[in-house]
Amino acid sequence: MSAALSLFGRQTWLYSRFELQRLFLTPRGWFALAAFTTIWYFLLRYPIYQASVQLQEPEIQQMLSGMLGMVGMYNLLNWSLPELSVYWALTVFFMPLAVLFATADQTCSDRSRGTLRFLTLRSSRDSIFFGRFIGQILVQALLIGLSLLATLGLAVWRVGELPLSAINATLVIWLNLLIVLLPFTALMALCSALVRSSRLAISLAIVSIGVVTGSLGYLVWHFPDLRVVLEYLPGAQLPMLLGAQGWETLKHCGLPLLQTAVLLLIGRIVMQEKAL
Amino acid sequence: MSYLIEARNLSKSFGQKAVLQDLTFSLPSGEPIALIGPNGAGKTTLFSLLCGYLPASSGELTVLGHKPGSSALFGRVSALPQDAMLDPNFSLLTQLSFFGQLQGMSKAKALAESRRVLSLVDLAGSADLKATALSHGMRKRVAIAQALMGSPELVMLDEPTAGLDPVNALQVRQLIATLSGEASFIISSHNIFELERLCGTVLYLEHGKLVQQSAVQSAATQGYVTLTLEPGAYTDLLPQLRALPGVIAVSDSQKHEYVLQFDAELAPDFDLTLLMALRQFGWRYRQLTKGQTLEQQLFAVTAKQA
Repeated sequence: MSAALSLFGRQTWLYSRFELQRLFLTPRGWFALAAFTTIWYFLLRYPIYQASVQLQEPEIQQMLSGMLGMVGMYNLLNWSLPELSVYWALTVFFMPLAVLFATADQTCSDRSRGTLRFLTLRSSRDSIFFGRFIGQILVQALLIGLSLLATLGLAVWRVGELPLSAINATLVIWLNLLIVLLPFTALMALCSALVRSSRLAISLAIVSIGVVTGSLGYLVWHFPDLRVVLEYLPGAQLPMLLGAQGWETLKHCGLPLLQTAVLLLIGRIVMQEKAL
Repeated sequence: MSYLIEARNLSKSFGQKAVLQDLTFSLPSGEPIALIGPNGAGKTTLFSLLCGYLPASSGELTVLGHKPGSSALFGRVSALPQDAMLDPNFSLLTQLSFFGQLQGMSKAKALAESRRVLSLVDLAGSADLKATALSHGMRKRVAIAQALMGSPELVMLDEPTAGLDPVNALQVRQLIATLSGEASFIISSHNIFELERLCGTVLYLEHGKLVQQSAVQSAATQGYVTLTLEPGAYTDLLPQLRALPGVIAVSDSQKHEYVLQFDAELAPDFDLTLLMALRQFGWRYRQLTKGQTLEQQLFAVTAKQA
């Protein structure tokens, strides 16, 4: 049993590490990094920098606090640096969408090309499935970390110092973003196990989210008591998350972790049963 | 006795279509095993079941005593799957060494092993290329190379020489012949002459059923001689052959090729008798083979069953 677990752990780690190799040592990865850098250059240079400057104005701060307070996001402007407030508000909504695209090809191309046939003679389908998933999380952790460091750099350039509280806030945002993205990455692991191309996986994910949300909306319209079900959809915790501050934000991590576990469990079953 | 592969009442269906029906067979380790059958006979499906790519619909199947796809078979069973390609984003060396690491090798050993198997298929100079830069034949050879990584006990090759030029096909056949002492091979191919040269046992599938499982040489060599003559006009050839002592039947299987069935007890030196007859009548022969060819052996049986 322990030998099997050790083999699973070793092979899963090899697959995860190989995803980092795919990012840093292949032309496809270099293009992805170049696109990531370009996008973040523009995000930092314009929305984040400009908004941070504007947020220094007391009138604007007062107006925004009032507006955000009305929708329950009282604490959004309370991060130690305005750059982090803008970063947090921006990424918490756009990153999940970006992740749907960036993590779509966890296993589908390999299945369609037949590469999985080479791999399954040497390792379990579980190692492949979970190894690729963890690899995607590692890549996200690294890229989010880099973008946060760039944001901190921008703030230091503007204010001339780096408050200790900003480092703490950066860690909180980094961890929260990773947790927010987990169910979306798991959803793509499942979709990737179901179909044979990344395009189809993206379409399947978007259609599934649309169909589930639409169906639940219809049900809630007719049976208002079911409203509580809407609170279990991926991303449902985001408005509450934006209303929280500091390490307190982690009290909202239960739902995404549970969603991730359920999606991975379904994905694992699909991966086990699917013909190669 | 422990078998390489054991199947009992094995069936596989896709929806309503039964692709494999109630196969029961046991294959011992040793000489390479041929998997033969016409298109659509179920060879690739059987391969996929053996490799664990597909689950069986019913019945039992074990490979080296384990369920296909089981972790106990990792590194012990390898395969050349049909139409499978390596990842186009990485070099051959990177991917093969990754396979080696999955099989439990250290990075350095995996790199050395990758170089070894690439040189076995004459691709040592292409180690840094990506799969997309290779021709069809080269891709096939790389796929064979990956199947030889480590020390597999069973190597399953689906159409190993399809799409290869004659020189490379010969090289692959030689490679299989050389390595067949170290590992057991199962080879699926349409090239019956290739299988005849390489294999000791034949599984013949037709319409998803096992039509025949036999040793290539044993039954076929008893009481049969295959005679191939030089092109030319031979008068009264068939009556003269049928009149030879001990002859039971003569059939002309192909142009200038005749299969003579004889009573081995009545005429133990039948080959000598035949050679003397050839000399007496001035018939020039190109080849004289003891036994039937695999093609004759298989198709004579299936024709009789039909």
